[in-house]
Amino acid sequence: MMWSQEVLALSRRWLLILLRERLNLLFSVLQPAVWLVFFAGALGGAMDPRAVGTDDYIAFAVPGIIAFTVVGNGVTAAMPLLFDKETGYLDKLLSMPIRRSSLIVSRFVFQVGMNSAQVVVILLVALVLGVRPASGPLGVLAILVATALLTLALTAAAMALACAVPSHGTFFAITGFASLPLLFMSNAFVPLSAMPGWMETVARANPLTYAIEAMRLLVLDGWSGGVPLSLGALVVASALLLAVGSWQFARQTSERIA
Amino acid sequence: MGLIIETERLSRSFGDRLAVDGLALAIAPGEIFGLLGPNGAGKTTTIRMLATLLPPSGGAARVCGFDVVGAAGEVRKRIGYVMQQVSPMGYYMLTGREKTEIEAALYHVPRRQVKARAGEVLDLVGLSEDADRLVQEYSGGMQKRLDLACGLLHRPELLILDEPTLGLDVPSRHRMWDHIRSLCDQGMTVLLATNYMDEADRLCDRLTIIDHGREVVSGTPAELKEATGAPSLDDVFLRHTGHALREEAE
Ligand SMILES: Nc1ncnc2c1ncn2[C@@H]1O[C@H](COP(=O)(O)OP(=O)(O)O)[C@@H](O)[C@H]1O
Ligand SMILES: [Mg+2]
Repeated sequence: MMWSQEVLALSRRWLLILLRERLNLLFSVLQPAVWLVFFAGALGGAMDPRAVGTDDYIAFAVPGIIAFTVVGNGVTAAMPLLFDKETGYLDKLLSMPIRRSSLIVSRFVFQVGMNSAQVVVILLVALVLGVRPASGPLGVLAILVATALLTLALTAAAMALACAVPSHGTFFAITGFASLPLLFMSNAFVPLSAMPGWMETVARANPLTYAIEAMRLLVLDGWSGGVPLSLGALVVASALLLAVGSWQFARQTSERIA
Repeated sequence: MGLIIETERLSRSFGDRLAVDGLALAIAPGEIFGLLGPNGAGKTTTIRMLATLLPPSGGAARVCGFDVVGAAGEVRKRIGYVMQQVSPMGYYMLTGREKTEIEAALYHVPRRQVKARAGEVLDLVGLSEDADRLVQEYSGGMQKRLDLACGLLHRPELLILDEPTLGLDVPSRHRMWDHIRSLCDQGMTVLLATNYMDEADRLCDRLTIIDHGREVVSGTPAELKEATGAPSLDDVFLRHTGHALREEAE
């Protein structure tokens, strides 16, 4: 009861701020759709259908664009924590009789909501461009589940980093450095089979690859054994990152009292 | 009646630097107790230990009868903490009322009472008319009063104010003092950290002057002035430490 009240109150703070920053909201929603149109449109012509495994590059790229969006939002996921730490408001929050976990859980709730909304927009734009997910409406639900799992993993990683760094400068330096390699060392835009061997090995250790794999099967092939397998791998990756995130957050607050 | 704050040899070090050194405080219900000292004396560090944000490195502290380490959760339910400096950046885009309602929910005010309670505390600090403006439009004094309002949401037994008038202009300071005084008239216990002697002289029933984390002298403002034969608390401090209070101030 109390716990849900805390999570709701903290989420309300971000929702209010988001709705008030209308331009920010507008661009956040439009950006992935624009990427889908231009990026996929431009790259599509250059792609060899035999390497990609389909002649519909836009359908192939949809999961990549979703991953792109979730990675971008992963950075903003940790911003409140990062800035509350620096402004001192985190201290005020920690002096209240709230559960420590509410601070983290509320951010997951908010991010999953945000990302789901964006994924729906991306899928709608894709629909207009002629993409029909082979797995049907239930497949769309499964895509949202994959998005939520990936959001969990990346939000946890970003929060862990936000706790570990001395200031937001370091945070942005590291995330700026890591975001693009994270995307391109995955199957976001190119299938694993078309990569050099070493890159494929790296991509297989990247949680993004499993989210994208599951979503791509759902969009292109429909339901297959690969879907639960990839989702399973994603669950493991999320759990691991969540453990790291909680450990870092506990470290951050143990200088204070737990 | 038990003490609201009770510390024994309370200490905290950062590396090899002792910020608080063996502090003994005893604060009774209904008192306005002043914690005085120049910048860097250890006031905020003491308060952060009492507010369960920082574990002591030595000694013990009980707030409202609960140990700040062993029963931190019980302590948090009973204190309102108004921080020395919190940049409002994190809630610039909220109105004063929205921020207050969110914190009311976080203080576990029952859902149905959140709106009413937020309205009450905003009224108490004279912010009713400005409640629906964005915090980014608030003056420094209004932001401090908003912080004060938020510290009252759960009707705490103890209100901890860390330099509540730092950086405020004269009318805003007087206004803040009026609010603090009326809270005390209603029986609130207040721990007030300040480096303004006149503030302590006007508001506090008793006070402790600390320097380098250690107690220098304690008593009522009148006692301290009488015992040292000094005309003001500034002079009391000067006589006890051999240096002026504001000397280390920024
Ligand atoms: N987190 C910290 N790490 C290292 N030193 C600190 C920390 N917090 C406070 N100090 C040091 O402890 C001393 C007391 O600081 P503080 O309690 O903030 O004083 P006051 O509030 O009286 O101005 C200062 O010398 C300050 O530099
Ligand atoms: Mg201070």
